Amino acid sequence: MTLAEPLPTGGFSFDNVARNAMLAARGAKPPKATSTGTTIVGVIFKDGVVLGADTRATAGPIVADKNCEKIHYLAPNMYCCGAGTAADTEFTTALISSKLELHSLQTGRQSRVVTAMTMLKQMLFRYQGHIGAALVLGGYDVNGPQLYTIAPHGSTDKLPFVTMGSGSLAAMAVFEAKWRANMTRDEAVAIVNDAIEAGIFNDLGSGSNVDVCVITKDNVEYLRNYNRPNERGVKEQSYRFPRGTTTVMSRKVINFVDVIEGDAMDVTA
Amino acid sequence: MEYNGSAIIAMTGKNCVAIAADRRFGVQALTLGMDFQKIFRVTDRTYIGLSGLATDVTTLNERFRYKVNMYRLNEEREIGTKTFAHMVSSSQYEKRQAIPEFPWRFGPYFVEPVIAGLEKDNTPFICSMDTIGCINYAKDFVVAGTATEQLYGVCESFWEPDLEPEDLFETISQALLNAMDRDALSGWGGIVHVITPTGVITRTLKGRMD
Amino acid sequence: MPLDLSFLDLKPAAARFMPASVLAPLDGPLEHDAIATFDLAPVSNPTEFIHNQMSKDAEHRIHMAKGTTTLAFKFAKGVVVAVDSRATMGPYIGSSNVKKVIEINPFLLGTMAGSAADCQYWERVLGTRARLYELRNKERISVAAASKLLCNMVYGYKGMGLSMGTMVTGWDKKGPGLYYVDSDGQRLTNHLFSVGSGSTYAYGVLDAGYDYDLSVADAIDLARRSIFHATYRDAYSGGSVNVYHVKEGGWEFISKTDVFDLHYEYQDQPRPALV
Repeated sequence: MTLAEPLPTGGFSFDNVARNAMLAARGAKPPKATSTGTTIVGVIFKDGVVLGADTRATAGPIVADKNCEKIHYLAPNMYCCGAGTAADTEFTTALISSKLELHSLQTGRQSRVVTAMTMLKQMLFRYQGHIGAALVLGGYDVNGPQLYTIAPHGSTDKLPFVTMGSGSLAAMAVFEAKWRANMTRDEAVAIVNDAIEAGIFNDLGSGSNVDVCVITKDNVEYLRNYNRPNERGVKEQSYRFPRGTTTVMSRKVINFVDVIEGDAMDVTA
Repeated sequence: MEYNGSAIIAMTGKNCVAIAADRRFGVQALTLGMDFQKIFRVTDRTYIGLSGLATDVTTLNERFRYKVNMYRLNEEREIGTKTFAHMVSSSQYEKRQAIPEFPWRFGPYFVEPVIAGLEKDNTPFICSMDTIGCINYAKDFVVAGTATEQLYGVCESFWEPDLEPEDLFETISQALLNAMDRDALSGWGGIVHVITPTGVITRTLKGRMD
Repeated sequence: MPLDLSFLDLKPAAARFMPASVLAPLDGPLEHDAIATFDLAPVSNPTEFIHNQMSKDAEHRIHMAKGTTTLAFKFAKGVVVAVDSRATMGPYIGSSNVKKVIEINPFLLGTMAGSAADCQYWERVLGTRARLYELRNKERISVAAASKLLCNMVYGYKGMGLSMGTMVTGWDKKGPGLYYVDSDGQRLTNHLFSVGSGSTYAYGVLDAGYDYDLSVADAIDLARRSIFHATYRDAYSGGSVNVYHVKEGGWEFISKTDVFDLHYEYQDQPRPALV
């Protein structure tokens, strides 16, 4: 006899589908998922690739997170920016990251960016766009700097400069105006910063800070909050409430006790 | 989310965290209970608040309790707050199904979890999640439920860094009470847990009963 | 020099949209009686138009403030009217201090349920109509007539999106009067009414404690208790309880009590015996 139902071991579960269809039929509103109405970009320069992202996460009209991380780790030589349904970008990159790690352990070689790109596109294509992840993938491998975009349905692009997300038009405008071949690192970082700023200021779905990641041969510089153009002003007044403001109906205290591994129990008679 | 109604917040303080929730159990406009538990103890130093569909709140609490117990038996140690948050996140994402054979459908638990606790070195940790497990880490406060808009408003102005446990209690309580007064679907009293390195203080609040 | 009264001859522009049934009860000796006009949407079919605007899947759906508990009952010493004071817009509480009793004139009260704007507008119109009646007939309008005027006015707009559930109360030659009028054009009279999302809860308490020979103090307390219990169970009712007493000399405002205080006051009292 099984005492406890075993927990599922992985993959998606469909247990709630029928129930949720019933709830939807009864007029229950489906909940809003956090999405990253986002500006993410990437550009190839002389010695590597630079990725950039804003840091706003939204749930409908609400800014859910003012400083989230959209540049995800994939492998030591590869990072990936995510736009779209936040949970999907998060879990998709985590899954591929783990697969890449196993793959490089198996082959004894550093992962190639095309491999990651292929894994991602095959996964997203299999789910026919239902996994709402739009990605900018950048890395440096035996073939030099590599930059791809992967759309939610699994189509990919390989370009010297790319943008994605709701702020992609604003960012692309900057790239189209300022991009040049064979830029230096600093030039590349500067135009990535400008492109993300264009998204932050001109697209309502993007905002807060600029994250930058510079990937070169055998080196990664993750510049978290490289630029903070939206620093909050200092609050002029404190709303600290005097103790006792709130009327308490009941109070219960649990004090922790330190359990010290003592001597063995005395079992002599 | 609007079916049952709820309001949950977690806030950080100086070496302490607080988590608070309303106590209403209602079905749309009808209020059925005023002592519904929405915050659950995970370990001594970790608490989880579940806002959303009441049936899922109960189910998930039991599921998480099972998983935490299994973790304790397997690992012979308590689960950390951050580890627990990732366990919740994965459990939530697991239910996010999307397959070509079916038209677009969500299959998650209709619950937005809020997790608050102290890490091993007593640094505060709080986070919230959407229904499909996207973690929102925050240094200041996180909110969930039908009163989120109101809660964001009050928390943005009330919260300040490094509050002592007693001051943190006042801040989180006033944030909760004032937000609930502008939301029809949450309220009917509140409960606040303040987690400190030495213990947990649980208080119930006197609030409006309409 | 005679006063220029020519403006009185001008029919309001919207009158051409008015159904005959609206103008009919107004056809008195003076044409400017036809004041109860109201601009309709300038479309070929206003009813269909408003239905589209208010349907669930309309892109910019019209939302109206709804969710209320109101009650009124007749007893030996007049009429008691009690209402809550919460205004909601969906689950959002817009206000906790709404006056849901509309003081039409010193002898007439109207209550507010459904759309606040509709109730306020039409009961103000009713106030002017009642005043004109007084000037013309040298006596106060009866509650029956007043409620019928209101009923006829809103009936003219039936199906065009008005939302109103009101009780018209007052004191006239026949004594206390109590009528229920709604935007469907329904008009009823009875000893006791409760209207709004919390009305079922209010009825529960009211029916248990109602007696025609209740003293004034007990009647007021019963009304207040009924509203309180409705605010307790109904998410869309709350705030304070406003109580009015209608008697021979006109209505009197009795009290405004926050239900927060009432809850803890009632909590300490023994429950009233019901049987």
